Amino acid sequence: MIQTLAPLAPILLMAFGAVALMLIDAFQDEEGGLAMPAALVHFVAGSTALLLWKRGLPLDSGLLHGYLVIDKTSLFLDAVIGLGGGLASLLAGGYLHEHKLERGEYYPLLGFASCGAMMLVSASDTLMLFVALETMSLGVYAMTGYRRTSARALEAALKYFLLGSFAAALLLAGAALLYTVTGHTDFAGIAQALHPTGEQPPDPFLVDKARISILAMLLILAALAFKVGAVPFHMWVPDTYEGAPTSTTAYMSVVVKTAAFGVFLRLMLTVFGDAGSASSAAGWPALMAWVAVLTMTVGNLAALVQTSVKRMLAYSSIAHAGYLLVGVVLAPRGGGVGAVAVASVLFYLLAYTVSNVGAFGALMLAGRRGAEAVSFDDLAGLGKRHPWAAFALTFFLLSLTGVPPTAGFFGKFYIVRTALDSGLGLLAAIVVVNSAVSAYYYLGVIVKMFMKDPAPGATRAQPMASGTIFFTLVGAALGVLYLGLLPERVLSLALAAAERAAP
Amino acid sequence: MTVTLGHYLALASVLFTTGAVGFLVRRNALVALMSIELMLNAVNLTLVAANRWQPSMVPAGAEPATPEALAAAAGYASQSAIAHHGQVFAFFVIAVAAAEAAVGLAIVLAFYRLRKTIRTDAADTLKG
Repeated sequence: MIQTLAPLAPILLMAFGAVALMLIDAFQDEEGGLAMPAALVHFVAGSTALLLWKRGLPLDSGLLHGYLVIDKTSLFLDAVIGLGGGLASLLAGGYLHEHKLERGEYYPLLGFASCGAMMLVSASDTLMLFVALETMSLGVYAMTGYRRTSARALEAALKYFLLGSFAAALLLAGAALLYTVTGHTDFAGIAQALHPTGEQPPDPFLVDKARISILAMLLILAALAFKVGAVPFHMWVPDTYEGAPTSTTAYMSVVVKTAAFGVFLRLMLTVFGDAGSASSAAGWPALMAWVAVLTMTVGNLAALVQTSVKRMLAYSSIAHAGYLLVGVVLAPRGGGVGAVAVASVLFYLLAYTVSNVGAFGALMLAGRRGAEAVSFDDLAGLGKRHPWAAFALTFFLLSLTGVPPTAGFFGKFYIVRTALDSGLGLLAAIVVVNSAVSAYYYLGVIVKMFMKDPAPGATRAQPMASGTIFFTLVGAALGVLYLGLLPERVLSLALAAAERAAP
Repeated sequence: MTVTLGHYLALASVLFTTGAVGFLVRRNALVALMSIELMLNAVNLTLVAANRWQPSMVPAGAEPATPEALAAAAGYASQSAIAHHGQVFAFFVIAVAAAEAAVGLAIVLAFYRLRKTIRTDAADTLKG
């Protein structure tokens, strides 16, 4: 019993932890104070994933019947989700308290969303994929509209909810079509039925299996592209990121993105990983290469003209999705390149998690209730008035830019190197040019903080005092430096995690 | 005329397209929600119909007559003896759609309280 349930430990801990948070909230007299327990649940679940990895338990448990696959990829991503979710709940503790939003339901919602995210990276059945996706998304929809008195937050939630449900419906339609032509809902069964080996009986239904499966693939790709925020399905990202409470934005940009990329890799590599659909000339990688180029270019160009720092970070997260998609495009390649590409995506997700949580956390720290850091102008002169807050923001923005010795540098470095190794010099060059463009707007913030004085009479950001946010930033900064100075150890873990995922 | 899988698929795709077009064209948040429900129900219809005509149980050369005849030809005692992943999937979709509608209606309600409208083109304060 313990043996069969052990591989599920991270997911179960997350689920029971979220239930416990709900019970604590129900029976305590005062509101709030759940940030620490919520972070603890995340960190425990994440470390359990690493412990499972280390113990090397027989990971494919018979109890799961192919609904969930617990392998090293999913354990790695579970750990990333645990880390990102834990840091985001600590940020929420400081932010919600400062902005008088501390209500108990935020942390259980966050916990259940993380549980959904962990199920999502393990999902290996379209039914499980759908249930996990909705478990994650419903929590995040509610967290987006959490500030009920703010028209902007509700607008963000409305847009995210409507478009998110539409994308889920597209995903379901793809899954239903695959079930129609194969009779399977599990990824392995679908893949086998789509590309059978040996003599096949003629199709008795006169349904065009090849064409329907391509249609299904396009529907699923559109839904996944929506979830990762890729162009042309990115329209919700800036609005939702800007309108949502900053703690929710931080959570969305790391946990939801990690989970979406995890399931993207698993689904596309197992179900559509055959030579025909995954051909880099005519299959989905060719299509996604264009999407990747468009995503990073559109994200970066739009970020250049923003006046709100939060919105700029939203567009920059679209650009980062573009860099990550380059790794996804290379993942189906053979000859060892595929595994390296998957490893570089996993590494990038971790590097992006610590950098982005830090950037949003520093942005939170730079503003207090009534004197928030919203626009670039709010930040003018912050370096002179409050050097520590300005320094924190600078540090994480440098990591997002990809300046060595930070995590962001090696994240991009591995992606670019994999692209070069596969002979895609042009794609690599586009990534590098885009990173250079992104330096302009990231450095713009830094220049504003340290070299500009605020206009007389203009609003100025006043930093808040928050121990939890400070603690989180220190943790994230250590992560950024560790990945930037000693990336080999984590990279070798990522490579081990990628071994089974790539064909 | 015998009703075949093709008929079900045709009906489902009409429903799905109606829902998708409704979602994209109409500007009322509630109508958008209903359009999504329509799309989900089209998916349910596909799943349930496909479960009755499972390709995995069709022997070589069999004519696609009725689900019962297919089941008998594949050696099953009855149609209900075969796996019902599609039917079960449909139940999950119904349950999750209910949860989704609950969250969605709460968001629409909160939006209405502040803005006194549920038109999605009133959601225009976030720009850039």
